Amino acid sequence: MKSLLPSDPPPGPFRRPFWRSPIRGPWLTSVFGVLLLASIPVLFATGLLSYAAYNPDLSRVNDETPGKGLLGFYLFSWPTHPVWLYRLNQGVHVTLGLVLVPILLFKLWSVLPKLFEWPPLRSPAHALERLSLFLLVGGAVFEFATGILNIQTWYKFPGSFYPLHFYGAWVFMAGFVVHVALKLPAMIRALRSRSFIGELRTSLARTRPEPPEAGELAPVAPAAPTISRRGVLAFAGAGSALIALLSVGQSVGGPLRWTALLAPHGANPAGPDDFQVNQTAASARIRKSETGDAWRLTLGSDGQDGQPAAALSRADLLGMRLHTARLPIACVEGWSTGNQAWTGVRLSDLARLAGVAHPSSALVTSLERGGAFSEVVLSQGQVLDPDSLLALRVNGSDLTPDHGYPARVILPASPGVHNTKWVASLTFRA
Amino acid sequence: MRGLFHRPDPRRLLRWLDPRRFLRWLDPRRFTRWYGAGPLHLLTMLGCFALAGYAAAELLPNNAIGIPVWFAGAVIGHDLILMPMYTVADRSAMAVFRHRRPQLPAVPWINYLRVPAALSGMLLLIWFPLIFRLPGRFTATTTLSLDPFLWHWLAVTGALFLLSAMALAVRLRMGRARRKTRDRRRRRGPARPGRRTAS
Repeated sequence: MKSLLPSDPPPGPFRRPFWRSPIRGPWLTSVFGVLLLASIPVLFATGLLSYAAYNPDLSRVNDETPGKGLLGFYLFSWPTHPVWLYRLNQGVHVTLGLVLVPILLFKLWSVLPKLFEWPPLRSPAHALERLSLFLLVGGAVFEFATGILNIQTWYKFPGSFYPLHFYGAWVFMAGFVVHVALKLPAMIRALRSRSFIGELRTSLARTRPEPPEAGELAPVAPAAPTISRRGVLAFAGAGSALIALLSVGQSVGGPLRWTALLAPHGANPAGPDDFQVNQTAASARIRKSETGDAWRLTLGSDGQDGQPAAALSRADLLGMRLHTARLPIACVEGWSTGNQAWTGVRLSDLARLAGVAHPSSALVTSLERGGAFSEVVLSQGQVLDPDSLLALRVNGSDLTPDHGYPARVILPASPGVHNTKWVASLTFRA
Repeated sequence: MRGLFHRPDPRRLLRWLDPRRFLRWLDPRRFTRWYGAGPLHLLTMLGCFALAGYAAAELLPNNAIGIPVWFAGAVIGHDLILMPMYTVADRSAMAVFRHRRPQLPAVPWINYLRVPAALSGMLLLIWFPLIFRLPGRFTATTTLSLDPFLWHWLAVTGALFLLSAMALAVRLRMGRARRKTRDRRRRRGPARPGRRTAS
């Protein structure tokens, strides 16, 4: 490399005096770094938990990433309590991801001179490190972009969301872990070089650049400051606070929902009493003729070679022992509804009726054809939970077509798409 | 290596194959000089690429062209397009307004422009699909309208600039009041030191 490239950097951003910001420096970078270091693992963990919540190990039907191999090492049977578990997990995952956008942008701004290092490759070690930075920065922007576009249902990314966001996260984390391992000592050193409280007390008039010897990021020819370090931190903090303020309402719901002015599910669909819909009956192409009087729920057990154990009409189901459970619907996209009062037949009662007293799992199919979640396999815990219902009514009225009329599954603590609407059949496995 | 093929010589070959020659590479100092960092660095790197490679082997088949393009596009789009764009916008704003008459106040006025503009831009960066009504099936699937998002964004942007203008006005007034009392106190005192202008 040394022989191919001039040892003197070409003019422009490759020379250190080009970077004139008086506040750029290792300390400021490290403050943003430590914020990301604390939050990215939470983002990653909630992402992995969300994947586990789909119970992908239970059946191929549930698994959007069947090639995961070792990356599914941690999977476990997703619990059904507390009922708000998935709601909290996804609210945190999506809102935290959005809130980190300004922090990430400031962090990337603060380290931009590193992109123009000269010579570009000093040694094999340096080359590998830069390649790992490509995974880190490319992976970070890829993960944020796919997540942010997916919650707006604008599917312009190159493939299906689940595999892209899941495998992309592992590529990003590979870059993240190695970056933390290499930079942690420098970060601690930089954070110790200045007092945080002291910086919060330093006004613009008294703001001085970090000395050039503090590190490569510190300016050698700084311009006069126009903003203090505490000003930049307040700037980034205001950005995060604003984003949170304008989006968290779609996860908190209730009277705060309207505050989510810039979030996909900040409005109530039909009126204050109605609640959010992920997919309407029309968009799932459910025909009126299929859900009318002719509709029957096919109950089966896995051992019967396709012979249904029973075919129940809605009137039959309403004549069974009904229960009411107060459960939310929480979408992978981060929005959720408050608890709704669902009334219907317990899945465990239907299992008994199908002749499977101790089901190990259940396959639910929908009238919807071809959708990614028109079939789902429920775990034993989900089938046997007393709050797991085949719901027929919600909040005292019959289900509307968009909420799954004539019958839908409702489960505690599970991803929204596992609450199958327009149920056609339930097949229990002993 | 070059000599080996240049002049075949069994003794040279033996010397070249001498296991001690390879063992010398295990000498940490020699390794470090060639590699540019310690062996632990290499081990960390190999771990990183092993994990990334394992995940990429499942990621790439989804779209072997689109995904690398997105990764590279993410880096180029951010580092070489978005960031230079907002840097140039920031510097242009400073340059344009600095030379305007009447002379701008000495407070760091640029921040009262920069902060609301950046926050509004950040919201646009995140929510542009909703704001520009791009998700074609949003209303059909959720029953929710896409119409309000543009107005919400404009209203939030307006509110940000309004708050910023109010904050600047308060600050200017406070500064003027402070200056007045100070001038009154040290009437005929030494000349006020020249204040640094924001730049």
